[in-house]
Amino acid sequence: MSPKSEIAQIPLNVGGIQGRSPRQIAWMRFKRNKVGVGAAIVSITILLLSLFAPLVAKIIGVDPDTLNLDVLDVSGIPEVGFTWDHPLGLIPGTGRDFLAQLLYGSRISFLIAILTTVTALTIGLFVGIIGGYFRGRIDNYLGRTTDFLLAFPAFFMIVALNQPVVARIEDSGIAQGNSARIIFLVFFLSFFGWPGFSRLIRSQVLSLREREFVTAAQAMGAGRWRIITKELIPNLWAPVIVVVSLSLPGYLAAEAVYSFLGLGVQPPASTWGILLSNATRYVTVMPSFFLIAAGSLVIVVLAFNLVGDALRDALDPKADR
Amino acid sequence: MSKLSALRRAAVITASSALAVSAVLVAGAPSASAAVKPKTGGILTFLEHTPRLDHYDPSRIYTGRDLAFMNSFMTRTLVAYNPVPGAAGATLVADLATNTGIPSNAAKTWKFTLRPGTTFEDGKKITCTDVQYGVSRVFATDVITDGPGYLQAWLNIPKDADGNSVFKGPYVKDPAGLAAFKKAVSCSKDDRTITFNLNKSVADFNYLGTYGVISPVQAKLDKGDKYDLRPQSTGPYKIAENSKTQLRLVRNSKWSKASDPVRTPYPDEVIIMFGYDEEVIDQIILEDTIPTAVNFAEPLSTNNDKFFSDAAFKNRRMNNPDPYARYFAFNVKAMPCIEIRQAMYYSRNAKALLDYAGGETYAGSFATGVISPLLATDYAPTKVVGPGSPDFIPTGNIPKALALMETAKTKCPADYKKATETGIKFDVRSSVTLNDTIPIDTAAYARAGIKVTFNPIASGYYPTVMNPDKQSDITASGWGADWANASTVIPELFASFGGFNISQNTSDPAYAAFEKGVNTAMLTTDRKKQAAMWKALDAQAMKNFWVLPTIFGKAQFVWGSQVGGVFFWVPQGNPAFGKMWVND
Repeated sequence: MSPKSEIAQIPLNVGGIQGRSPRQIAWMRFKRNKVGVGAAIVSITILLLSLFAPLVAKIIGVDPDTLNLDVLDVSGIPEVGFTWDHPLGLIPGTGRDFLAQLLYGSRISFLIAILTTVTALTIGLFVGIIGGYFRGRIDNYLGRTTDFLLAFPAFFMIVALNQPVVARIEDSGIAQGNSARIIFLVFFLSFFGWPGFSRLIRSQVLSLREREFVTAAQAMGAGRWRIITKELIPNLWAPVIVVVSLSLPGYLAAEAVYSFLGLGVQPPASTWGILLSNATRYVTVMPSFFLIAAGSLVIVVLAFNLVGDALRDALDPKADR
Repeated sequence: MSKLSALRRAAVITASSALAVSAVLVAGAPSASAAVKPKTGGILTFLEHTPRLDHYDPSRIYTGRDLAFMNSFMTRTLVAYNPVPGAAGATLVADLATNTGIPSNAAKTWKFTLRPGTTFEDGKKITCTDVQYGVSRVFATDVITDGPGYLQAWLNIPKDADGNSVFKGPYVKDPAGLAAFKKAVSCSKDDRTITFNLNKSVADFNYLGTYGVISPVQAKLDKGDKYDLRPQSTGPYKIAENSKTQLRLVRNSKWSKASDPVRTPYPDEVIIMFGYDEEVIDQIILEDTIPTAVNFAEPLSTNNDKFFSDAAFKNRRMNNPDPYARYFAFNVKAMPCIEIRQAMYYSRNAKALLDYAGGETYAGSFATGVISPLLATDYAPTKVVGPGSPDFIPTGNIPKALALMETAKTKCPADYKKATETGIKFDVRSSVTLNDTIPIDTAAYARAGIKVTFNPIASGYYPTVMNPDKQSDITASGWGADWANASTVIPELFASFGGFNISQNTSDPAYAAFEKGVNTAMLTTDRKKQAAMWKALDAQAMKNFWVLPTIFGKAQFVWGSQVGGVFFWVPQGNPAFGKMWVND
């Protein structure tokens, strides 16, 4: 920051020393991080675009399901490039609109990522608080369980269990087709994802419960429930927000990987993983398809990660900024 | 392209269809490299994307490409197809035998006399007993799986109450069964002549002699299922290494040119390298990184244009009709309502899917039935489905489909509900191309109000769909004739005793009359009359909509700049691998 702007800020504080809540401090710090703010704008824009995909697609005038087979050449490559009708061009093979596919595809990707994060976080929060607060034998059991799960080769288990478990979900009548596959992915990704959260929360709780305000509450006769809900949880939000913003892009990428491998959602539904696996077949004949699909994923994951970093810096009281 | 590879891949074109075949070959890309003198030595490399071939045991190979490969290099059979370009390639020549089989007793008895001087790779002389033993193995149907089942059906061995042969193969001690077998397949006193006694007249039995199911196996070296890993060679090459990464064949010093009129081995070694990504294989051939390499499968359809529109690849490519008829088999038990089956046929966007697979240039043409045009004698457009039929529109005849659905609504409401609400489920082979074909199909059937879902099967495709408990409503499949007679197509696909009936059509009201027709046709020895019957049966099967025929396929092959002598071996639907040489 230039010296001039610092001078310009001084008169604001002249009126007297104002008290600021931790939230205000964090927000002020976050605002100062230009990269973080930029990334946040990008992330929110993409989330909104994804949420309102049908509306956006309608405004732009694109549709994800219309096949434009007549403009494909003999190798399945569209003969039209980027036009106003199709801002990102058409997908080779089927001639569907690429932008609309990206928009609609992001919905399932985000759905899986958000559901997984929420589920994993809820379990992790619950187990972490119990372990950290009660310590002793309970913590021992819970700790070994998380260790046990962390030792599992999650990726290979998901690959191996995919078909039988999806078939079982379908047979049991809970869900069919892609819903069953989404349930499978969310279930297993959170099943293997919560131990990480749980460890983090536990360590936070362990240090928080020794702090003076907890001792004070105990001295005043507050019950366990009150201490956990009123004293501990409000102080856990900072690490939780950071972890969420960092793990969301991780699950987004994981969804893409499983769909890419043909283990995730299946066509005709579309996700970014499916678009990517499609794009690899045409990478030598139509590189733009691959570059845009991969580029979009990179931008989203990067933006969310940068927001996470900025939030961590802003929320950490010990950071020197 | 999505290759609906069938269980078997062999079709034979007899002399009678010579004209049609040569016309096809002329229309195709140049099929042979310039006439240059073959060179010996060097290493010929095949690049393959699967982790291994299905089988090496001669009794178990039933895929045309693998058959063409193994028979070119390793496995000698009683008779063989002449490895020459054009229609002449479909003529039978004597291989291990001195003749192409002598029929007698109205073709119920077949005699083959063995050629002298033939040996196994360990130097042991090949005798009639070895061939007899090799034949006996196929009766152990729980050990020797996946091969053709004709011997079990045709050899004159008594059957038990369940219709199975009383002979259970050489791995079960059963003197009575063995005696019955030895009566059906007997050896002369000098152990040089083998005689097959059949339970009916089979005028083209000797064509089965091109398959490894009739080939010599040494009893003392047979390890049952494990023989698949390291079978004994009788040809010019033997296995030196069979590992996860490659199959390496080296010259078999015990093989003598004098005893083999068919094979002319050129390279010192032949290697199949496994597990390469298909795109990588195509790039290797395109860039000519390994000039002595051959793509063992077809190039990816996205790369076809690079190979076939560039004159630089003039001598390194070929594009020929393949012997397959592709189709979707309706599981008639699950879809008893013919109107819905018809509506699916009429609402399918055949043109979009053909174009997607590469169009007329690379993928083939709209099918008119399950008998491929390469079976010239038995082929005629059925005029029921496909080009030539009254209501055929390549992109789909929607008004007709909607009318049929309207009929189905009142005639079979349960099936109508399933088609429009639950969805009709397709069994398909897992492939990245599904990303595109599923949306095309979904959109196409939706025009008639039909909902479709898909069951992609990652491995063990045929074992899965041939299990009635696991088969869905519609199953993608493909079938090529085993030799130039639709007797290897119509009964196999549609009769209750056929080896590949996945239509589950036996409960269909039209089935009884159909089977009667099949039985009559099979007993007809007048080839012209028989051909007319097959044509009629093909049309009849289409009228019943037991299958939804899609395309008569085409196949592309590409190879490196230093590989010579490549030509299309018509009866095998593949290049004549044994005639290739390496220039450098």
